[in-house]
Amino acid sequence: MHPILTNARKLMWYLAAWLLTGVFIALLLVAADLAQWGSALWFALPATFLYSFIASSAYYVCRSLPMAKRHFAFATAVFGGSSLIAGFAWLAICQGWNQLAHLLSADYAAVQVTQHMAVVLFAAGCGFYLLSILAHDVLIAFDNVRLAERRAAESRVLARDAELQVLRTQINPHFLFNSLNSISALTTIDGPAARSMTIELAQFFRQTLALSEKQAIPLADEIALCNSFLAIEKIRFGKKLGSAIEIADDAQRALIPPMILQPLVENAIKHGIRDLVDGGTVSIRAFAREQWLHIAVSNPVDSQPSNAVGNGTGLKNLQQRFASIYDGQARASWALADGQFTVEMALPLAYTEI
Amino acid sequence: MSETIKTLIVDDEDLARRLVREYLGKHADIEIIGECDNGLQAVKDIAALNPDLVLLDIQMPKLTGLEVLELTGRSSGVIFTTAYDQYALKAFDLHAVDYLLKPFSQTRFDEALAQARKALGQTLPALENLLEQATEKLERILIRDRNQVHVIPVEKMDYAEAQDDYVSIQSEGKCYLKTQRLSDLETQLDPKKFVRVHRSYIINIEKLQSIERATKDSHVALMRDGKQIPISRAGYDRIKAIM
Repeated sequence: MHPILTNARKLMWYLAAWLLTGVFIALLLVAADLAQWGSALWFALPATFLYSFIASSAYYVCRSLPMAKRHFAFATAVFGGSSLIAGFAWLAICQGWNQLAHLLSADYAAVQVTQHMAVVLFAAGCGFYLLSILAHDVLIAFDNVRLAERRAAESRVLARDAELQVLRTQINPHFLFNSLNSISALTTIDGPAARSMTIELAQFFRQTLALSEKQAIPLADEIALCNSFLAIEKIRFGKKLGSAIEIADDAQRALIPPMILQPLVENAIKHGIRDLVDGGTVSIRAFAREQWLHIAVSNPVDSQPSNAVGNGTGLKNLQQRFASIYDGQARASWALADGQFTVEMALPLAYTEI
Repeated sequence: MSETIKTLIVDDEDLARRLVREYLGKHADIEIIGECDNGLQAVKDIAALNPDLVLLDIQMPKLTGLEVLELTGRSSGVIFTTAYDQYALKAFDLHAVDYLLKPFSQTRFDEALAQARKALGQTLPALENLLEQATEKLERILIRDRNQVHVIPVEKMDYAEAQDDYVSIQSEGKCYLKTQRLSDLETQLDPKKFVRVHRSYIINIEKLQSIERATKDSHVALMRDGKQIPISRAGYDRIKAIM
């Protein structure tokens, strides 16, 4: 597909440029005292208009010789040859139109095409064509750059999606092995408790696998996942760990990307509550207001930060995920105030998949 | 062998401690003298109870298992337990220090216990090397002060001053004493951020306000908190080299 001929706006600019060239040719004719303004314009404008379509064929010449595969000699031959042909065509158009115009209108004082002038016209035609080749080359190069940029952006998004997919389905080995250790301890202490913990663990991983395949899930499903996770962690940490979950009715069915809250809860325990000798409570609150779904996860933290303090990778991942899914329409922020660490999120409210 | 082996169990999870207790129950010569659910408590109890054997979890709140050993200066009679910690385990394997991977069986536990029993009371070179390497890239300075443990992130240290057998460490307006040689501390700190400006001083470049000329050919470092620290001639060359 020709990029100029198939695009009305580009075509307009292209023709305007050629008509300007026509005016310029007329100006030269007048200046050389070869014609009057009226005749000069009548001669030059239709000829350049017609020639502009011939010159647009330069696009195909350029395309037939991609930049990377050009050998100097071959390219010179092709470009030179095609511009010579175009030069002859231009001369023929000029001559033909000159005579036709003369026949059609008596007012038209035909331009005297002398041999000398024919050579100049021919050279000009060749030159115009070479310029056209150059312009098309630039155009193609621009298009290639834009295409490459778009491909790079696309592959970045794909790579990030793939990375997130891995992150989402990744089983935290520390969590898994510690849970298995707890089950191992429970088998002799309390058989039924060992069994129920095994079932909780299985259920948690099953939910993780099911949810991470989806694009968006109701908040209630994510909360169920968090509850499974908390149930296991409560067996591990005992009385130290409490949870308080308040989800407003209008937020229950609101859609969110899967696996955004569970990692936050996991980190709230790992970097917050686990460090506190007396433990603490993870709280999750969510409500819908106007066109936004607000979710907050908070937990107490120790005043003396320990080595377990995270480096913020999880939170940065969350922001990146929001950026790639919502394109700047969702926010995630976090703050530490009065020994309480809180992550707040605001997402566009949606009940059906976009 | 009528002597019992006094054993301390350190793990932040109740069930994990109970499992170890159960496994230890098979061994008549073991006497469990206490349980700790965090690193700080472990430091206190190791110092107070002086157990023969410590079952020590590596990943714990407050202090890691290795930090507990560093603070108590203990390098014998330890069995490590851990669920998963890539970095720690690599170091353990490198120095051939044994550890129990959770969940572990009674058989595996008994093997580790038998090994530990043989070496009771002897310092283990492998463990000493491991601890030395663990403190090579110091991120937090640990200071034991009678019954308290202070944890100072290295970037919050303003400067350290040698005082006889101690190092006094200045951080956020407070001064802490640590039994350590200044030269040992120097090797543990990042030389790009901490400079030995004088035989008796290491300063944190981040906390340096300016360098002033004191006399014709001597300088002092003016710190952000107003303290003036003498700079020796060699120290001046060192600080010029990195600034």
